[in-house]
Amino acid sequence: MADAQVRGIIPPQRASYVIDAIDRGEVLRYLGYRGQAITPELDARIDTVIGTCLEECQPRGIWAVFGRADAQGGEQGQPEGVALAGARLVLPGADIARHLDGACAIALMSVTLGMASERALQRLALTNPMDQVIFDAAANALVERAADAAEAQLVAHAHAQGLYTNDRYAPGYGDLPLTVQAPLLDALDARKALGVTLTPSNMLVPSKSETAVLGLFTQPPARREGGMCGVCAMSDFCTLRSQGLFCRR
Amino acid sequence: MSDAAVSLPTTTPAGHRWTRSLRVADEHLSRVLAGEERLVFDGAMGTQLQARGLAAGETPELLCLSNPDQITEIHAAYVAAGSEAVTTNTFGANRLKLAGQASVDEIFAAAIACARAAGPRYVAADIGPTGALLEPMGTLSFDEAYELFAEQAIAAERHGADLCVIETFADLAEAKAALLAVRENTSLPAFVTMTFGEDGRTFLGTTPEIAAVTLSAAGAQVIGINCSLGPADVAPLVARMVPYARVPVMAQANAGLPELHDGVTSYSITPQEYCAAVGTMVEGGVSVVGGCCGTTPDHIAGERALLAELPAPSARAQASQPFTCASAQRLVELRPGAVGVIGERINPTGKRRLKEALRSGQLDYVLSEAIAQDEAGAQLLDVNAGLPEIDERAMMLRLVREVSAVSTCPLQVDSATPEVIEAAVRAYPGKPVINSCNGKEESLRAVVPIAKHYGCALVGLTIDEDGIPPTAEGRLAVARRIVAATDAAGIPRADVLIDCLTMAVSTDQSAGLAILDAVRLVKRELPGVRTVLGVSNISFGLPYRELLNATFLTAAFAAGLDLAIMNPLSQRFMDVVHAWRVFNGEDEHEDAYVRDYADRARRDQEAKRPALDTAKLSVALDALNALAADAGMELTTAAAPQAAPASVSPTDAAPGAQTPADRVRQAVLEGRKDPVADGVSALLDAGAESLQLIDDVLIPALDEVGKRFEAGTFFLPQLMASAEAAKAGFDVIRARGASAGVASKGRIALATVKGDIHDIGKNIVRMLLENYGYEVVDLGRDVDPQDFVDTVVEHHIELGGLSALMTTTVPAMAQTIELLHDQAPWCKVMVGGAVLNPEYAEMVGADFYAKDANESARIAGEVLGAGEQ
Repeated sequence: MADAQVRGIIPPQRASYVIDAIDRGEVLRYLGYRGQAITPELDARIDTVIGTCLEECQPRGIWAVFGRADAQGGEQGQPEGVALAGARLVLPGADIARHLDGACAIALMSVTLGMASERALQRLALTNPMDQVIFDAAANALVERAADAAEAQLVAHAHAQGLYTNDRYAPGYGDLPLTVQAPLLDALDARKALGVTLTPSNMLVPSKSETAVLGLFTQPPARREGGMCGVCAMSDFCTLRSQGLFCRR
Repeated sequence: MSDAAVSLPTTTPAGHRWTRSLRVADEHLSRVLAGEERLVFDGAMGTQLQARGLAAGETPELLCLSNPDQITEIHAAYVAAGSEAVTTNTFGANRLKLAGQASVDEIFAAAIACARAAGPRYVAADIGPTGALLEPMGTLSFDEAYELFAEQAIAAERHGADLCVIETFADLAEAKAALLAVRENTSLPAFVTMTFGEDGRTFLGTTPEIAAVTLSAAGAQVIGINCSLGPADVAPLVARMVPYARVPVMAQANAGLPELHDGVTSYSITPQEYCAAVGTMVEGGVSVVGGCCGTTPDHIAGERALLAELPAPSARAQASQPFTCASAQRLVELRPGAVGVIGERINPTGKRRLKEALRSGQLDYVLSEAIAQDEAGAQLLDVNAGLPEIDERAMMLRLVREVSAVSTCPLQVDSATPEVIEAAVRAYPGKPVINSCNGKEESLRAVVPIAKHYGCALVGLTIDEDGIPPTAEGRLAVARRIVAATDAAGIPRADVLIDCLTMAVSTDQSAGLAILDAVRLVKRELPGVRTVLGVSNISFGLPYRELLNATFLTAAFAAGLDLAIMNPLSQRFMDVVHAWRVFNGEDEHEDAYVRDYADRARRDQEAKRPALDTAKLSVALDALNALAADAGMELTTAAAPQAAPASVSPTDAAPGAQTPADRVRQAVLEGRKDPVADGVSALLDAGAESLQLIDDVLIPALDEVGKRFEAGTFFLPQLMASAEAAKAGFDVIRARGASAGVASKGRIALATVKGDIHDIGKNIVRMLLENYGYEVVDLGRDVDPQDFVDTVVEHHIELGGLSALMTTTVPAMAQTIELLHDQAPWCKVMVGGAVLNPEYAEMVGADFYAKDANESARIAGEVLGAGEQ
């Protein structure tokens, strides 16, 4: 088990995150806001729903760092991709290989707002479609904050080891297929630890959940220009991008 | 464990097998199941496999085939440490997770052989969750989950396991599916454990108390907690479970959290610390122990040593049991003497709007009733879908699902048809109440076994082949027969609710006292059972019914009534309940009473002062003026109803000479519900035609909203607020029964395609289309292509709308459209969703691309003709 000697490797770490505010501007952006005049009623309603979202959701996460398995990709005829040591997970594709180029270790993470978010969305779908739309936007903003919080823990961990991290890269970006969701969740034991499951079409449930892959580096990695849009499968249709905005700060 | 004396059919009404008689391996195990002896399980399998170099994320069950010696070695270490039962390496060995890598049967065969080879006293076949989430949150159906578990259970028995341990469940419905699969397909004892978080709930919100109530009623032989947390955190959770468990309780905690030292993963809690916490749990009533993640043979040896020093468990004193029922998220518990409220309003009998809702399938009104009753203090909700012209079974299942989504109140499944009752309670995540059986032989034979098999509380009506006995003694006699049947079936008395049946006092004045006597008699002569009454019937045919109802309810509580089936929206009723809880001591220190009523005297006083709703009056006045003007009349006080006050200030009456219709239009644009509802109401009062209101006021306002959205002067929430406001107007028209002349503009089927669970966009479209007067058949999300086509064919629908949010689900959209073109060529299709654009829409074969909800309304107009009636 040579990989055990690699710096930064750590078994899955569970965490819950206390997040007591959601950026209102971000929620409005998700709602397609472009400076329209908002009535006081709508204003108050958005605040109320954001409050409900914060109250009902329990952001939690799990993250771990694995070593890189050798050989894979180096041999001729092997498909491009990155294999993890100590996990039955190969991240296929040229884009993720590029993302992890030069990384000495690989971090996996998953965060979720829990089943309470899913229940709230279903309840609102039946009772109040408008609040569902606002709740959905607020929850999107909140799950991003949860992912930030998990990433922050990882960055602190990496820092303590004298390592650097790059951006969060999610299944579905570029040519990294959604089919890696299952082995990725298994490598983290996220189904048991977080209650995050998959539909047959590899969508995460609770839907307000995320998974991501990051590289750990001995030298500060070059940051991508313009965030992840370049590799995002949704970029052609993205309503945020069409306004010159990003889904992540 | 003998079956009831009554001769039962071999299958349930729905064709499921009743529980078989148990096959218990030996005397020790049988004493364990009786709670008279303790049992030591084993510790972690996964941790041991990892220590032997198994990679994280590997399918560990396959090692039973590839490395059987290694598996046996792990079991043997536990046996040597003192494990009486070892758990097979089959946690994830279901067809879904194995995904064709091996068959379920061969894994169980190998795993049980590995375990047996280690020489344990008992081999426990491990059944873990499917790994997929059940409906309604997920996409796996209860029946599909059941089939997966049944395959495992059958394999476990075939290859010689002594019991099944169903463990690490977070979803009560899934645990119930697994338990039923074992009970209906094997003779093996079933141990069921769930896993909880630091907040004391499973991921799906179930508490230890709810798990204990539901699983022990549903026929598990042992229940408990596994995995979750360290033993110090599990101890208080399992202590909460013990008082509600009717069967022995087990605990298998983790050895804390994984830590990495020099590249080796270890767990934070030592065997000594672990066993100290286990000692506390055993003292608290836990009788089956073992370990989960991180535990080792050392932990088990410690537990064995601990138990060796303890005397045999004392039989738990069965104090008078509380009445319990539960949804997945809420426990309702009534200690003897406490009173409860069952909301009666989701029942079409005598309720026009409810009938209409059930017939049309538009359940908004039903769900709002559920929420209102819950908020008003109902503890359970009665749910009845009994209308002759609808599919009662399908509607009942939908009601159970949707009401459960908006309220956590446990449900009382109300039907006269055993098949409907069974369908509803089988997959219910919790312990429901069945309403009802009665004293007729046929009813007892059909319904009592359902209540027993699925672990439900049961209402028994004191009516039999000869009708309702007029006397209290006669009703007691029927109650005795019912309780004899439930006793024989093994249903605890606390789960039996006798309904002495309220009769109208207007037809028989002695009825009131006879019912109260009957309640008293039943409580005295049949100790342990509870009573329930639908109270409102007492006043049938008399004026000012609330007074009679409330008085009768007070008397009934005094006579010993436990649960009232009533309208919790009646303040007078709830006042009686709250006051009674002071007298029976349920409201300790009168805290709740003081909190809710201290302010009441003052509020009552204020309420008596007539508040002048000037806004409403001004709208009404304007409406009248406008109508009068139209008719060329001059409005005089003589021509106006007396309500028209002379004192409305001129500034209120004429701001910018807006007509009342203008103001409704304006309120729709501003997305303000109440002014729209009030305005429409006033216009109708003043004689406006509903059709005209819709076509000349509401729809043009919506069109304007659409234009503004198009132009970007409105953003999405504004569009929706306006749609919501307009809906408030339509609701007024509908509630007044004024919609009779307003025909539907046509039917539209909507769905999010197979594989996709995003429904928000579709819900927005639905809201807008309904506003425009279309009848929307909403199939929901993750909709199978053929189901969509079948619906279109059945209702001969001319326009379908499909939504997809992921590139990966666009093929399902194409497939649905292809089937549709094939089988329902008349139906046009519009598509929408984040990943679509006009080119994609054309590629998948759609007739229209709807870039947003507004566009979908335009398309509907084009296809179905918005203007036509």
